[in-house]
Amino acid sequence: MALINIATHEIHCKIVYYGIGYCGKTTNLQYVFKSINPSVRGEMLSIATETERTLFFDFLPLDLGTVQGFRTRFHLYTVPGQILYERTRLAVLNGADGIVFVVDSQAEKFEENVQSITELEMNLRRLGKELGNFPFVMQWNKRDMPSALPVNVLERYLNRRRVPSFEAVACSGTGVYSTLRAISKRVMAQL
Amino acid sequence: MEQLTNLIVSDRELVLISNTLLKLMNDTSASSVMLLDKSGQVITTQGMSTKHIATSLGALLAGAFSSSRHVAELLGEKDFRTIFQQGVHENIYTTMIEDQWLLVIVFDKLTHIGLVKVLSKKASDDLSRTLERVKADTTRQKSSVLNIQFHSSVEDTIDLLFRD
Repeated sequence: MALINIATHEIHCKIVYYGIGYCGKTTNLQYVFKSINPSVRGEMLSIATETERTLFFDFLPLDLGTVQGFRTRFHLYTVPGQILYERTRLAVLNGADGIVFVVDSQAEKFEENVQSITELEMNLRRLGKELGNFPFVMQWNKRDMPSALPVNVLERYLNRRRVPSFEAVACSGTGVYSTLRAISKRVMAQL
Repeated sequence: MEQLTNLIVSDRELVLISNTLLKLMNDTSASSVMLLDKSGQVITTQGMSTKHIATSLGALLAGAFSSSRHVAELLGEKDFRTIFQQGVHENIYTTMIEDQWLLVIVFDKLTHIGLVKVLSKKASDDLSRTLERVKADTTRQKSSVLNIQFHSSVEDTIDLLFRD
């Protein structure tokens, strides 16, 4: 839920990157952190296990500066992807204004992706939201992997709502910003 | 439970909120008092000790609170209304206001937790009334803030800053 503070002339929005374990959610945020103008970003927080798996969430605040008199900020979060952290994902989703669903394009991950998007729909419903009328984009990540499924197959089975989708190789930055631009604009349009 | 799309805090309401937080901070001798939205956004903060880390604190405390609510569910509780984090020097007491806001009080060992609990309850009641006004104003004020020019400018800014 976006916060518009008229007194301090600030707008805050929360964007959550969702998806299965190792699909590249944290990699998206890390790429933004290392490549964006340093004046735009704040400190990146990662609550991870000793083996670098996300335990709770990653957090990256971005400050767009002043737009029409309002200081506009996006707060990017990731959820932990591992199956056992379902409740934690729900906790992080609370108050989200937009969602990026990051898909691991590899054929062997297809079933897990399907389960994850079903879980996302259910979790949003528990928060009183419907994915169908919520700012939402898809990212087909790991397009460089040999077993990556064709995009038309992913579109057919995972993007039933035909929301904007972007091919990506997050570790090299491909598709990271096009995804971020799309979800940011959708969130702002919804305000 | 339907959630609001956004929440608009006006000048008048922010003054009321700031006064409540300042009074609470002074009466409890807390080093800092913050009001967060449950999504982790900082609405306002009083006291210097947390000012420079407010954004990170907001995200972490809201995450911890949200997580604790799910722990409550698993135990068959409706929710846990408060969290108390105790350190050697600093303590944090967080309490939820009307399922929407989190009141956070940072205090040291010279302040007794009992005082913080009692006075934060009083402050929560005042903040609840302000929150009701904020909710009522949100629909009315939205169009005056977010006009077509704003939407167009913010899209241009996104294109400018979020690029390879």
